[in-house]
Amino acid sequence: MVSPIYEDMTPNLKRARLVFIVVAILFGVVLFFYWKIQILNYGKFWTASESNRTREIVIPAPRAILTDRGGSVILANNVVAFKVSLIRENTRNLEESLARISPLLGLDVAVLRQRIDKYMTLPLFRPIVVKDNLSLTEVSQIEGRRMDFPELVIETEPKRAYPFLSFAAHALGYLQELTPEDLRTAFKDRKIGDMAGKTGIEGAYESRLAGVDGKLVEVVDSLGRKRDELERVEPRQRAKLALTLDFDLQAMAEELLAGKEGAIVALDARTGGVLALASFPTYDPNKFITRFTPEEWIELARNPDTPLVNRALQGQYSPGSIFKPAMAIGALDLGLITEQTTFFCAGAALFYGRPFHCWFEPGHGSLNLPEAIRQSCNVYFYNLGMRMKIDDIARYADELGLGKKTGVDIAGEKTGLVPSTEWKRKTQGEPWYPGETISVAIGQGPLQVTPLQIAAMTAQIANRGTRFQPHLVLEDDAKAGVSATRTSIPSAIFEKVIEGMWRSANMEGTGRGAKVEKFDVCAKTGSTQTIGRETSERLGIKKKTHSWFTGFAPRNNPEIVVTILIEFGGGGGAAAAPIAGRLFKLYKDKHDRPSPSSGN
Amino acid sequence: MIDRVHLREIDWILIGLLLLNAVLGVVLIDSSSHYLAGSFFFRQLLWLLVSVILLFLTLTVDYKVLLGFSPYVYGFFIALLTGLLVFGKTISGAKSWVVHLSVFGGQPSELAKIALILLLARIFSEYRRRSLSFGFGMLSAGATVLPFVVIGLQPDLGTAVSLLPILFGALILCGLTRKTVVLLLAGTLVLGFTGWNFVLKDYQKKRLVTLVNPSQDPRGAGYHVLQSKIAIGSGGLSGKGFKKGTQTQLKFLPARHTDFIVSVLGEEFGFLGIFAVFLSYFFFLARLFTSVFQSRDRAGMYIIFMVACLLAFQFLVNVMMIVGLFPVTGIPIPLLSYGGSSLLTTFLAVGLALNVKMRSCVNV
Repeated sequence: MVSPIYEDMTPNLKRARLVFIVVAILFGVVLFFYWKIQILNYGKFWTASESNRTREIVIPAPRAILTDRGGSVILANNVVAFKVSLIRENTRNLEESLARISPLLGLDVAVLRQRIDKYMTLPLFRPIVVKDNLSLTEVSQIEGRRMDFPELVIETEPKRAYPFLSFAAHALGYLQELTPEDLRTAFKDRKIGDMAGKTGIEGAYESRLAGVDGKLVEVVDSLGRKRDELERVEPRQRAKLALTLDFDLQAMAEELLAGKEGAIVALDARTGGVLALASFPTYDPNKFITRFTPEEWIELARNPDTPLVNRALQGQYSPGSIFKPAMAIGALDLGLITEQTTFFCAGAALFYGRPFHCWFEPGHGSLNLPEAIRQSCNVYFYNLGMRMKIDDIARYADELGLGKKTGVDIAGEKTGLVPSTEWKRKTQGEPWYPGETISVAIGQGPLQVTPLQIAAMTAQIANRGTRFQPHLVLEDDAKAGVSATRTSIPSAIFEKVIEGMWRSANMEGTGRGAKVEKFDVCAKTGSTQTIGRETSERLGIKKKTHSWFTGFAPRNNPEIVVTILIEFGGGGGAAAAPIAGRLFKLYKDKHDRPSPSSGN
Repeated sequence: MIDRVHLREIDWILIGLLLLNAVLGVVLIDSSSHYLAGSFFFRQLLWLLVSVILLFLTLTVDYKVLLGFSPYVYGFFIALLTGLLVFGKTISGAKSWVVHLSVFGGQPSELAKIALILLLARIFSEYRRRSLSFGFGMLSAGATVLPFVVIGLQPDLGTAVSLLPILFGALILCGLTRKTVVLLLAGTLVLGFTGWNFVLKDYQKKRLVTLVNPSQDPRGAGYHVLQSKIAIGSGGLSGKGFKKGTQTQLKFLPARHTDFIVSVLGEEFGFLGIFAVFLSYFFFLARLFTSVFQSRDRAGMYIIFMVACLLAFQFLVNVMMIVGLFPVTGIPIPLLSYGGSSLLTTFLAVGLALNVKMRSCVNV
């Protein structure tokens, strides 16, 4: 063996040097790559690590509480509700997961998938609500199998609750989940899955009632377990909102209306505040406060009796005799009659060659204006109709707020309809025939009004021309004086009509059912045919008339207005006036308690 | 056996660099596993102590003596690994000695690297032609393929692959004709390409990767590398601080104390930490590579070069793997990653280099 010292290893060592150089270059290249991701792309990776470790949870805020005008009766509050959500990030396979969850929640896989699909746009770590309003049994079933279902999470949320169930349901309104369309337009600042008021006070005052959601930023590990809390912003509930509703009046109105179809509106004559607003049939909004299109709601929406419709604002009815005060005011203001002008009623009269009937077939004989209102004589008002132009009638109806929205602070109000020559030409392309005016004079024909419009008109008559904006929020009572408007019609004219309305209730007139001792109720009733008299006779059907009542009390310094409509209730005097009487009586009893200062 | 002259010749700088990197590893292991049961930190410290003792013990034996034993050592490891494979399969789950061995935490496949280095060094020390002949190439390749297959079947692809730089190091040093290089490269490419694309099915590839990687990938392929890149990238220039890396501490990072230990470094100490460790590792490897020139014989030259190639390969593959420049194959980084056998193997390998160096003085 050659001595190692003389061995020539130079070629091998050259190659070793080459390999070392390659290694050195690779070190440089790799280091450059580290420099790139740590220095150049630092921001991107830093953000990724932050979103890895933190999880933001929304703490939903409870909605503001709604109370009656006294502030003590809570009409809408919040209760704790459980919801179960699925976190897609924690599933290995969504389909498998849905199949396992389906029997646990008692929901079809298809339904579950539909619910997941709805929120597909949310990031993977965001829980998607698959079922809400869980019962305690359901909660314990899910919690008990927590280990088997790492993708499910049970959370609590404040849920709107109406302790008196259907009480004032149409005034309060209800909530529904925001649709993608809502989120694009009116609710840009809200999140998918949020509930919002759709109707009534809940809808109109959504931004006032919805609280400010809080948030919780948590540190989580790779398994999604909470490790720490970084930031906590408590949700903010807004101050409670007192409504103008009077709990006792509302309760009695609903009691009296139960089983019928119709509406009752009671206004505070001094402010326009709505003391009671009842519409029947009604519904229990508690039953469909859920994210998912509830069966109860679909049923209600399909119900031919339309319980979801707020008849006080959305029901448009022929006013019938309720319109007569408006006619009287117009005729007086135009100087066509005075309160002493008399017409003779023989039970019917010919106008433009056609017979028009009074509801009282024997006839009222000769009567002046207050008597005509007291007895609701049709012939008297036919005579006014013959002397007035339809456009004049339309002008006075407009002065009294008919044919347009009252501007009440809840949505969905209908305008009703006041015909005019222009309206006829536009809609039917025909001129107005004077004969048609005769029907309008007793509130028939194309005329249509809502109960709320009639209530507002009655309040304006009660206030001798001053008109208040109907409203449902108590704070607005203070502003009533500012926003009040006054018609140019002199108050003396209103006084003359009020005389007739007073007689109607207190001197054995059609409104006598509403009489309350020492409360000076002034009233007007109406009974409107739902089909024409000729049609009715031809078909042999005797369908009951709609019953109307409107009135206020007391005569001087009026405090309360009550308007009632009962669909197919029969005669207004018989069906509606006694109900009004109960309400006036209740109001009087409640406010007649001897005040301590008077020393009684 | 050991001479005072030899003691004087020990390369203390190389030992210093070796210990420096090993201690860095222990620190990183602490950060990445202090919240886990199993006290990895202390176990690694214990292994470090054992490794240092064993290193100095091996220094007392001349490497030429060790070369003489190399065929027997090699044969022992092949037999052990084959036995592991066979018994591990047939009586899986039973309380066999194999199971006891794994409880002890040793991995014979790691130490097989030392056996291969010694055997190849012995083979090549007698080979003096200017370039590799076909028969000789086949002999050395055969010596590598045998443990490669046995280890690969365990399956431990990472360790098996780590045998290749030992073989290639030896071949390169021996001298390859241009023809051989082209043939080898082309063969590797074709084999790798067809193997990955046509032979292995998707689930096999995935299984291979996940078997090599102890922690299963729950959220789709690429998750590990992504989390690793997030960890490193979010470290920025100076890092989030020791034990303050969110990716590490909240377990977003997979295999933190083993394969992805450098990701922990990158996250908690930033680019400066990466730069420092790369530098210290580079000095360590440079010291090894330059030691090749100080060997007085062929065998010694081959030993040091193969050790240097093995460690350089493992380091480079690991640091590329964790940032997605190389497929995840489960190759730990020597000295830094947790693992007793790996640490011991590295120490013994460096011990061989030291052994050669201290005996390079001709005037004994």
